[in-house]
Amino acid sequence: MPFTKESVEEIASLHEEPDWLRKRRREAFEVYERLALPSKIDEEWRRVDFKGLKLDEFRAFEEPNGAAPGVPIDGAAGVLRQRGSAPGKVDLDPELAAKGVVFLPLSQGAKEHRELVEKRLFSEVRPDRDKFAAVHAALFSGGTLLYVPDFVEIEQPLVGQYWSSGGGAAVLPHTLIVAGKGAKFNYLDEFLSPSLDQPALTSGSAEIFLGEGAQVGYVALQKWGRHAYQFANQRVHVGKEATARLFNVTLGARFAKVRVEANLQGPGGMAELKGIYFASDDQFFDFHTLQDHQVGQTTSDLLFKGALRDTARTVYAGLIRIEKDSARSDAYQANRNLLLSKQAKAYSIPMLEIINNDVRCTHGATVGPIDPEHLFYLASRGIPKAVAQRMIVQGFFGEVADRIPFEQARRLVAEELEARLG
Amino acid sequence: MADLEIRDLRVSVEGREILKGVSLDVSKGEVHAVMGPNGSGKSTLSQTLLGHPGYKVEGGRVRFKGQDILELTPDARSRLGLFLALQYPIVVPGITMNNFLRTALNAHRGYDGKDKSKSVSPKEFRTLVEPYLETLRIDRTFLSRYINEGFSGGEKKRAEILQMAVLQPEMAVLDETDSGLDIDSIKYVSEAINKMRGPELGVLMITHYTRILQFIKPDYVHVMVAGQVVESGGAEVADRLEREGYAQWGEEVA
Repeated sequence: MPFTKESVEEIASLHEEPDWLRKRRREAFEVYERLALPSKIDEEWRRVDFKGLKLDEFRAFEEPNGAAPGVPIDGAAGVLRQRGSAPGKVDLDPELAAKGVVFLPLSQGAKEHRELVEKRLFSEVRPDRDKFAAVHAALFSGGTLLYVPDFVEIEQPLVGQYWSSGGGAAVLPHTLIVAGKGAKFNYLDEFLSPSLDQPALTSGSAEIFLGEGAQVGYVALQKWGRHAYQFANQRVHVGKEATARLFNVTLGARFAKVRVEANLQGPGGMAELKGIYFASDDQFFDFHTLQDHQVGQTTSDLLFKGALRDTARTVYAGLIRIEKDSARSDAYQANRNLLLSKQAKAYSIPMLEIINNDVRCTHGATVGPIDPEHLFYLASRGIPKAVAQRMIVQGFFGEVADRIPFEQARRLVAEELEARLG
Repeated sequence: MADLEIRDLRVSVEGREILKGVSLDVSKGEVHAVMGPNGSGKSTLSQTLLGHPGYKVEGGRVRFKGQDILELTPDARSRLGLFLALQYPIVVPGITMNNFLRTALNAHRGYDGKDKSKSVSPKEFRTLVEPYLETLRIDRTFLSRYINEGFSGGEKKRAEILQMAVLQPEMAVLDETDSGLDIDSIKYVSEAINKMRGPELGVLMITHYTRILQFIKPDYVHVMVAGQVVESGGAEVADRLEREGYAQWGEEVA
């Protein structure tokens, strides 16, 4: 069944949304109807193959069913757990609530904290970016609002967990994070579902706003089942002297098209964009990253590392953009790919767009198999080949996994990788 | 019968024959030095003994402890008790020395992640490593660093000998362990090797220079030129080399 205006109204009612938000959804739906599917003529979509994806086949939302797994980490300061497209259930440390921390399902947040949500929602991840961003904005189901007031520091991480078990539906959570001046905290989004027969349309988009001097770590761990098509946009707005550390882990879904972007808007702002992907069987992942230095004296540091097995294919394309007035900016970008089979294919396309010369910019890309000298070295010490290979892949990921902003997520990702490397 | 028997070994690299029939016998308790000029095939010999995939055996055989090892994978050769200290130890990113050494030692013990009783305990690991960290003047923080990453040339070579100390091989091939080392490092490395020397260890020391032989006294010295052993004898062969260099064999072999 195709998505309709009625489905937009239905989901807005289901979440009891205020009129302004309902109106936003309607507008986004008009964009969705107007836009064609991206074509291969467009450079960004040239290598993207969404064979088998039929947008007409999805129900607009998913009734919650199935038993969701437990909270992935211990000791979280706040947890939001969402099943299917229904609003999530929140558990927040009362001390934080007393300090003014807001942690709510997004629709409820929109109703109760219009001042936080209205001007920010879909301002960084714009519905007119493409047809998939439009459908996400029109039919986003659930999601999170996290607001941390000025100078509030949260020691333990907060967690959003999105569980889907239906198949055949659109499950489109949206995370909106607002960090006040000098706020400090870490956040983990976990997206997961079992592998099902019927395809699903999923997202896992995020807009993150950092006020002056804020320090925020955000980890997105994507473990959608192999039936899912994922289209996600994760974008951070970095204010003056603020530090954002985004870490994207893409493991699941049959198809994932993910944008990770930093919008550096304040001098002294710093964005660290790191990512890990491990693709096997016939998975297809596409990452487009952007380090957008809108003002000077900003820093960005990007490293995406992927390993591919079987007949998996990945695309990485990263752009560093330094505007005319953005002197004394410093940008680094690297993408490394490890091919674990002869049939796996990785494309890596680094790009620079530098309009100011008073900057420091480095980028690099590599695609290749495990270095046979590394294997020989480990083997010469008695380590069997299969073990050596696993160690080398873990080591390859370890170099970037060390940059996961907080310990619990580091452990979680390490365990996840270990299980998948087998 | 020697513990390591190399017979008429012929090896090619990228279609070019490098070893043209090398025979050597090395037994436990002995230290052999194989000396030769650049390009004589010394490193080809050492890499072939451990089964580096870039070297193709064209003929001959190698037996270690009575077993034909040319058919064995490099890891199986290592577990049989053969060790190679690389001429150019490589950096392996993301794997700590600690993890590397423990995994190697566990592999030697036959621990495959299941039978915990076979795995090396942290305490046992420490007792193996600590004395050699001291002898080799390696700071213990090196163990938490990635394999050879950021190590100086001398530190890399010393780390090779540390690996040897942990794995306790029966036959160690040291491929130009002395090359590029400052005199202090040579002393530390020699001290560590001399400490390991004994009836349970055979050493095949491959070197270009006689310098290290002042610190590690060989029982036998072989001269290799153009892929063949052209002379074998006792320590006096090295003394002659020290005086006369390799030129004397230039004519003979050409």
